[in-house]
Amino acid sequence: MYRWLDERLSLSRFNKKFLRKAFPVHHSFFLGEITMFAFITLVLTGIFLTFNYEPSSRLIKYMGRELPAAYASILYIDSLPFGAVLRSVHHWSANVMIAAAFLHMLRILVSGAYKKPREINWLLGLALLGLSVVTAFTGYSLPFDAFSVTATQIGYGIGASMPYIGEWVSQLIFGGEYPTLHSIPRVYSLHVLWFPLLLMALIGAHMLIMIKQKHTQPTYAKKVAPGKILGVPMMPQQGYMMGVLFLLYLAVVFFIGGSYIAHPVEAFGPPTASTPAVKPDWYFLWIYGILQIIPGDLKIPLPFGAAINSEFIGGVLVPGLLGIAAVLLPFLDTRKTKQRYMELPTRHPVRTSVTFALIAFLLTTTLAGWKQEFGFSNGQLWAIIIVGTLATYLTSYLILVSYWGKAPKGEAGELEEA
Amino acid sequence: MYRNDTVLPFFGILFGVALWYMAYLDGLHIARLAGHQPEELSVGQLGLITFGIVFFLWGAIGYISAWLEGGELRPGREEAEGGAAPMVVVFVLALLLVGLSGLFVNAVLYGLTEGPVKSSFMGQLAAAILLVMTLLLVVYKKFFVDDEVLVEDEHSEVPW
Repeated sequence: MYRWLDERLSLSRFNKKFLRKAFPVHHSFFLGEITMFAFITLVLTGIFLTFNYEPSSRLIKYMGRELPAAYASILYIDSLPFGAVLRSVHHWSANVMIAAAFLHMLRILVSGAYKKPREINWLLGLALLGLSVVTAFTGYSLPFDAFSVTATQIGYGIGASMPYIGEWVSQLIFGGEYPTLHSIPRVYSLHVLWFPLLLMALIGAHMLIMIKQKHTQPTYAKKVAPGKILGVPMMPQQGYMMGVLFLLYLAVVFFIGGSYIAHPVEAFGPPTASTPAVKPDWYFLWIYGILQIIPGDLKIPLPFGAAINSEFIGGVLVPGLLGIAAVLLPFLDTRKTKQRYMELPTRHPVRTSVTFALIAFLLTTTLAGWKQEFGFSNGQLWAIIIVGTLATYLTSYLILVSYWGKAPKGEAGELEEA
Repeated sequence: MYRNDTVLPFFGILFGVALWYMAYLDGLHIARLAGHQPEELSVGQLGLITFGIVFFLWGAIGYISAWLEGGELRPGREEAEGGAAPMVVVFVLALLLVGLSGLFVNAVLYGLTEGPVKSSFMGQLAAAILLVMTLLLVVYKKFFVDDEVLVEDEHSEVPW
């Protein structure tokens, strides 16, 4: 069979050219692979869900109750053998994809792997992280239960707060002022077709560029094979490791997905006229936290009747500024030669400390999301966020400099161009 | 970042388990102590468990990678050891896989005819099957696949 195919498709040539590519080995590379396997799991479980989900908010009779069709179809999926587990695995995988992509980007950041020649892949990675969050958000609205409707309304409000274009953008995504009868079909189309297609295209480009530019290698490789790529062949060695990781990933998410149903719609019930007190999903909590500590009545008037309000500042401006900083990073922190080896985070105290400070900022603003539960005042939360972020930077910088000193010239990865 | 060590994977596993336990403490345990049975996870619990999953997975695959591929690569080829003991392990794992898969199919058929089977049982059974498959692949790779390390020119023609 192989010979038959080989004679027609030159498989051995394909194998020699592509499947013998050397893959450097380091545990931190697996964060990107976890992200990819979460996406594959999302697609596979998503196909099962599309077979049984009805994208409509019109009222239907289901088991003697009058319910929105989308909500009723989720109840139907949960009643199927293994259906609730697959839906839960889909939900957990969406969370894992975002968390793994975020940690993957932190790894790229602390090891300096965004520098020349990988600037384009850094930008593609940022786009992938942003699109993953948006795709997860659109999926959040689909069960159409009391929780998801309210949480989606928060997102709709943030989108609509953008001066001049906000209302238009939000209505484009949600098929009118959310929730309308057109909202679920519109969001469903984006969630199962357009965003996944875009994600696939971006992931494909990300991988292709990674294969062309090669990984940044662990520093020891500089001594073993200077200027060369040291690694295991893609097939079979790397293929086995990818298989192991994918199976292990599935084992863990099936265990957690079965043990903890991520979004039990029965517990929330169908949407009602009264708005339940809910918070957005964890990856939006830091934005929600910022919104909690900005005065709600803040309004800066703009020409032609538009205005900048607190929702825009907390939900669009602050994340937007962080995004712009991330986009500019590889063009500000540059190098003349190619980055071949991972830089040691301990030898780059400023960059590593800024990364720790960013994590502290995200954690403290997330904490602000529980303002009412903890009984903090706005002043206390501002103090926690500012002092927590600055203290993290200074402490980590002092520790790194006192233990390892500043990076010497000609540090790892700074071989001259071959 | 220097080599494929197990230091960070160790902390990954530790951190992963700690985050999962924090989520547990945060919700279920405290709620039960207070006499309340929550039906859903809070967003905080979801976030903690999510990062727990990622850290645990990263730590576990880091350890597996260090065991299967080593801390530092050296160019060359090394033949697989093989042996009777790994063969017995593969055989036992394969039997276990068949048994668990049969149980899983039975549980699905039971769910179709007799009524719903608990999600936790179905999820954990699927996880057990997948874990056995993982172990099978790990043992096979360790003892029956030749190790090979390549040195490739940086300017290869792949993909263009």
